[in-house]
Amino acid sequence: MRRPPPTAATLLAAALALAAPAAAVAQALPGIALERALARSLGVGVGDTVTVGTAPGTGRAMRVEAVYAPPPDPVSLIRRERRVRLHLPDLAALLGAPDRVDRLGVRVRGAATPESVAARLNAAAFGYHAWDARAIAARSSRTFEVVSRFHRAIGVITIVASAVFLLCIMLLKVEERRLDAAVMRFIGVRRRTIFGALLLEATVVAAVGAALGVAFAWVAGAATNLFYQRFFDTSVVFSLVTREIVAFGAALSLGLGVAAGALAALRLVRTPPMTLWGRG
Amino acid sequence: MRTALRDLLRHPLRSALAVLGIAVSAAMLLDMVMLSGGIDRSFASLLLARGYQVRVSPRGTLPFDSEATLGGLADVLRRLRADPDVAAAGPVLGTAVFGRGAADSAVVLFGYGVEPGAQGMYELERGADLAPDDSLGVLLSAPSAVRLGAGVGDTVVLAARLDPQVASASVERRLVVRGEVRWVYDYRDQPSVGTLLPVMQALAGEGARDAASAILVRVRDGADLAAATARLRAAVPEAEVRNVDDLVAVFRQRLVYFRQVATILGAVSLIVTVLLVGTLLTITVNERLGEIATLRAIGIGTGRIVRGVVAEGALLTAAGGALGLALGLATARYLDAILTSFPGLPAAFSFFVARPDALLTAALVLAVTGTLAGAWPAWLAARAPIAATLRAEAT
Repeated sequence: MRRPPPTAATLLAAALALAAPAAAVAQALPGIALERALARSLGVGVGDTVTVGTAPGTGRAMRVEAVYAPPPDPVSLIRRERRVRLHLPDLAALLGAPDRVDRLGVRVRGAATPESVAARLNAAAFGYHAWDARAIAARSSRTFEVVSRFHRAIGVITIVASAVFLLCIMLLKVEERRLDAAVMRFIGVRRRTIFGALLLEATVVAAVGAALGVAFAWVAGAATNLFYQRFFDTSVVFSLVTREIVAFGAALSLGLGVAAGALAALRLVRTPPMTLWGRG
Repeated sequence: MRTALRDLLRHPLRSALAVLGIAVSAAMLLDMVMLSGGIDRSFASLLLARGYQVRVSPRGTLPFDSEATLGGLADVLRRLRADPDVAAAGPVLGTAVFGRGAADSAVVLFGYGVEPGAQGMYELERGADLAPDDSLGVLLSAPSAVRLGAGVGDTVVLAARLDPQVASASVERRLVVRGEVRWVYDYRDQPSVGTLLPVMQALAGEGARDAASAILVRVRDGADLAAATARLRAAVPEAEVRNVDDLVAVFRQRLVYFRQVATILGAVSLIVTVLLVGTLLTITVNERLGEIATLRAIGIGTGRIVRGVVAEGALLTAAGGALGLALGLATARYLDAILTSFPGLPAAFSFFVARPDALLTAALVLAVTGTLAGAWPAWLAARAPIAATLRAEAT
């Protein structure tokens, strides 16, 4: 149970109770904008009248002037809150808190830097705290930094598991060629040639596997986005398969596959041919 | 089983790699089982830390999720306490205050106003609790004690509603530190202070008179919690009344992403285990088709051969699982340290909870999966035609 820093949005989302649409539509009523999902759940549209209040039975009629799609904000979507926008004096009157706001946006003038202006404002008086936009961004992005660190840690575990799996499969794949390698050695094929052939085979397997993996990642990413965008009714992109990620994944798979294949092939060509044939 | 073990030891490198692969998959599976159930368990035990099963908050809000307060507090409390199953109802008001201690500069604190006789918010760590009429006492958390430079017996000043124009506080209280407490729902390093409810209401201003942010209700032992919650809901229709189960459901909805990630990654771990065990045993069986055909030719039953192959899979899975258990517990601690650094999350909350039932579930699922993964190679071994296989081996 924590108390978040006060913002107009949280205050608004928390304090307002929306009642069913009223029948009459009056142009003189104060305007309100509803988030798309909220308008849908209430079954109202532009021009309809809704009753808005801080508690049941204390509402005030307002006219829906707009229905808007919320900006793609990952923080608000996990809270599953429904939001409305009102003109500031209307909200202040509703809350009984005139001449009061939760925060102010300030645009600096000329060559002044936001940091220096924030520092001057903080030194000038107390009862408020001024932040420059970069500091706010750094504080509000901490949630995503944590999620990102979690994803990276899971990614490392997955890479370790994949590496062991790949090494094991490549070892088995190369060992399957024991008899072929023995025959080639018996007929005089050089170790280096056998090693090269096995390495080439491992490279082809790793390359095909990497290509299939990229295709699977792309399909899985698209399915993830489709599912979560519908689930949260948002345009937030949840899975992004970038060129860098593809390059990293493909390089890692190829590198690990070739290395594992090389190790297994080296082990095979060093084994005496009679042992490979099963008579050693 | 002994034969299966001997067969596995014939290829130590490949068996070791398979065990290692299964161990990493098992670790991932265990972590994901711990994550999927741990969130609910941890949150529920956090809510029940002080034995209060019901929360009453302003309509449309979760407790302490907004600035909204519950007005007409005396009347709401009277109606709640009138219920025969309510053992205690403790109001809490939370608000931002400024504090001054040994260091003269003001620090921003989070203030709780409580009724010490019915509080579910803190545990006393040192010093004394507030007496019911102690309007001159204050409780500090360890972070607030550090920031104020104050300890038990010291005097601190709490101020509120600072006016930027005249650079002074509208209200100030000089209070004596009675004790140091751990606020159950505080996030890490949150500087909190606690006073009697009327003191904090006075600091919060006119709008907070006879108001609280939330009320914690303890239902009598043995009472039907769902029925009591429904009655309280009817008694205070202007407020949101939720019991622990309701709150866990809301919280579960908010953290649905982590539960779904846990499900997906757990499933991937199982698939990797099946592929690893299945591939290894298929190749092993293919290599030993001649030996298996010979055994069958001299009268060894198909069932025994199938059991031998399945036992190999079970042995690999058991060895990998045991290693994965230790690995999983270590990685769970690391992953938990990452996720619990979420800003604003109660410090006592955990995402990964090592419960016996989680360990047992992961072990059972892994054992069944690994054993079943040997079924296909075992079927291959049992179905191989004896004569044709022996002829092929001879040539």
